[in-house]
Amino acid sequence: MHPVVAARGLTKRFPGVVALRGVDFDLRAGEIHALCGENGAGKSTLIKLLSGIHPHGSYEGELRIDGQPAAFRSVRDAEAAGLAVITQELALVDGLSVAENLFLGRAPRRGWRIDWPALYRRAADLLWEFGLDVDPETPVGRLGIGQKQLVEIARAMDKRSRVLVLDEPTAALAAREVGVLQKHLRRLRAGGTACIYISHRLEEVRALADRVTVLRDGATVATLGRAEAEPAVIIRQMVGRELTEQFPRPAAAVERRGEPLLAVRGLRVAPPAGSRVRLAEVSLTVHSGEVLGIGGLMGAGRTELLLHLFAGWGRRRAGEVTLGGRPYAEPAPDRSIARGLVLATEDRRRLGLIPGEGITFNLSLASLGRFTRWGGRLDRPAEEQAAAGLFQSLRIRAPGLATPVRGLSGGNQQKVVLGKALLTEPAVVLLDEPTRGIDVGARVEVYQLIQRLTAAGCGVVLVSSDLPELMGMSDRILMLAGGRPGGEFARAAFDPERLLAAALQAAPAVPHPLPG
Amino acid sequence: MKPSFSPRAFALPLALGVLCLFFYLREPLFLGPRNLTQLLVEFALTGTLALGMFLILLPGQIDLSVGSGVGLVGGIAAVLVFHHGWPAPAALGAGLGAALVLWLLMGALIVRQRIPAFIITLGGLLVFKGLFWLVIRNSTVPVVAGGGENLYSRLTTGYLPAAVGLTLTALVLAGLAFAQGRDRAARRALGLAVPPIWGTILRGAAVALAAFGLVLLCNRFRGVPVTLLVLAGAAGLVHFLTRHTPFGRHLYAIGGNEEAAALSGIPVSRVLIGAYGLMGVAVALTGFMTTAYAGASTTTVGDLMELDAIAACVIGGTALRGGRGSVGGVLCGALIMAVLLSGMTLLAVEPELKFIARGTVLALAVWLDVRFGGEARG
Repeated sequence: MHPVVAARGLTKRFPGVVALRGVDFDLRAGEIHALCGENGAGKSTLIKLLSGIHPHGSYEGELRIDGQPAAFRSVRDAEAAGLAVITQELALVDGLSVAENLFLGRAPRRGWRIDWPALYRRAADLLWEFGLDVDPETPVGRLGIGQKQLVEIARAMDKRSRVLVLDEPTAALAAREVGVLQKHLRRLRAGGTACIYISHRLEEVRALADRVTVLRDGATVATLGRAEAEPAVIIRQMVGRELTEQFPRPAAAVERRGEPLLAVRGLRVAPPAGSRVRLAEVSLTVHSGEVLGIGGLMGAGRTELLLHLFAGWGRRRAGEVTLGGRPYAEPAPDRSIARGLVLATEDRRRLGLIPGEGITFNLSLASLGRFTRWGGRLDRPAEEQAAAGLFQSLRIRAPGLATPVRGLSGGNQQKVVLGKALLTEPAVVLLDEPTRGIDVGARVEVYQLIQRLTAAGCGVVLVSSDLPELMGMSDRILMLAGGRPGGEFARAAFDPERLLAAALQAAPAVPHPLPG
Repeated sequence: MKPSFSPRAFALPLALGVLCLFFYLREPLFLGPRNLTQLLVEFALTGTLALGMFLILLPGQIDLSVGSGVGLVGGIAAVLVFHHGWPAPAALGAGLGAALVLWLLMGALIVRQRIPAFIITLGGLLVFKGLFWLVIRNSTVPVVAGGGENLYSRLTTGYLPAAVGLTLTALVLAGLAFAQGRDRAARRALGLAVPPIWGTILRGAAVALAAFGLVLLCNRFRGVPVTLLVLAGAAGLVHFLTRHTPFGRHLYAIGGNEEAAALSGIPVSRVLIGAYGLMGVAVALTGFMTTAYAGASTTTVGDLMELDAIAACVIGGTALRGGRGSVGGVLCGALIMAVLLSGMTLLAVEPELKFIARGTVLALAVWLDVRFGGEARG
């Protein structure tokens, strides 16, 4: 029997770059085939060839579907052949309801009119079947990013596609949602659907994949069977070297001396229009040289807490914030940066970068004052020198400093966001999911960066959904649950089950006593 | 993927050449010194306004009120000179002040009250038109009393003596060469890559050739018109602002991604209101020159100039969504618009057809921007 998808010798060239060099790839019916590789290894390009985004003729090599040569001219062709692709950028319309999105472009009709009762009935069935607890009439814009992703996956699954391509589907999902997704992927596999699964979370790959293909520098390095696909083996193939120490943070507790750099007491924040997250009774302190981890499920208010401290998200009803020993009543980004507080956002594309501009432009954007000379003139050579320094020390991989950040891989975009924060010479750095959607190598580089920051006396607040990362990199962890503190843990008390339990419970009304 | 060179960089001069050739073949006088000088004056009017519009389009805003603003501001100054006997400099200063206040006010309404720029400036278009007609009482108000001369009238009747024009050009070019040299030295001192010297020299030679050619051409008639000097000053200032100051970076950043710009600590509101303030200055300058060019403030001064300004920007590669464009492109676009309008006037094309041609060019330019200029979002 022919494989569902067979690629032979795929080569794709961009001006100045060869993204794929002779990649072979097979996908059999009823298997989950994981694709692993570092930033720029060619995973996204391969997916774009398979799904018709890079049309037939723009690449070399052969693509066969069910043994027949395929020549997709567009995404539509690929969809007609039974391929459904779910990318990191979601294809949902925020203003329409969940039900309308689920049946976008294929709503049940009665004559020329949309059959609304049937639409909502079928949507409710589908959501129930998928185990997704949302009202089909909710506008998609009100959902969190994790729920949006599940809606889109539900839509693709409902189309009964024969090949499902998932690009980092769990990057934004909480553990429970990951479980729901995996359950459904297994069920689809049993029904004969083939699935290409791209993920940087190797435990997931191990739990789910029948085979793993590893790409490195645009070429296939290995295709591993289930028995061989140990995370350590995959990592070795991906980077070509052993990663001995994933978390460089020493286990020894950091001595907390003097005044905290950032202190929050009894913070209560009402949400702005369009959000339902409400913060209450939040207290925390960050000292020099310390990493405070903040964990919690989706919607626990972690991002909102950081946005309030840095940019004045929502409306403060009660509580005090002290930054550098002085009260900080009305936070705004320019004031925060001037006082040494900086935020590296989670949603890089929407909140972190000016996509059409170059690396230098983005790196210096928050620190232009430092490069301004007499008469308001920008000292561009000095600016470029600073950017070149970060380009090297952060090991950003790009053709040059002027390369638009739009074209960079996720890991390199993240490095630009971090570099922009570093250039402001902060005292306290707020990091919101700094390793989301980036590969192992870049991840370790982010950890080393956190080490360098704390060694230099900065305080770091690290928000992460990845428990091993949170435990590996934090000196203390504050778990949030429903916008309230669910518990604070010193390093000696880190334990995945206790942390998770703290994230799941609603917090007591009294502020949690701070240890240490 | 971006090509390594921009096809637009070649397409614009090519289109300009084809247009000029077409008009020249139809009417050889088109390239005569007298007509060319007149063309350059009209270019200066459209260009100055387009430079202001460029600062508005860059951060993704729009201003539809500038055409009536041009009439209004020119009218205020004319009335002060002709009916109230003010000295011309004072009248021009008052007009400039009025324009600044009006545009800062519109900017504040747009930014602080979050009313879309499209609506506020469309309202401004009508309000300013009404104010304009009230100010000049629907009559014709000359810019100078009794056929004399003043600063106001000399804006479009004044020319630089040949030697002054050449000296000024040489000085500006020398200044640019000095800045280039200093930049290269600074780069070398910091250990940064320095672009190849022959490229810089070649580009410098092209600029010098164009500048001196233009001045010599003007000198064949009466000299460099004062309006062209105003345009050159405005272009230099806007280029400096957009490329060499934090303010310019902020404009590009807001147009590229407003939310990310705000989270980078950019004072978005202040930057936008500042851009509207500068638009007000451009409106005032254009208003004075346009009114002086007509000789008097009449009810039709400035009509539809907002569309010419927007068309010039978009033809020159400014994205209507914001975040992309350059002063060089805007000047090129303004020159194309000026050639088109002036050529049609010379050929005595009926006004009906001129309207249709202007509209078609505007739509065509935006279509080209959407079709070829806009990169995929995100």
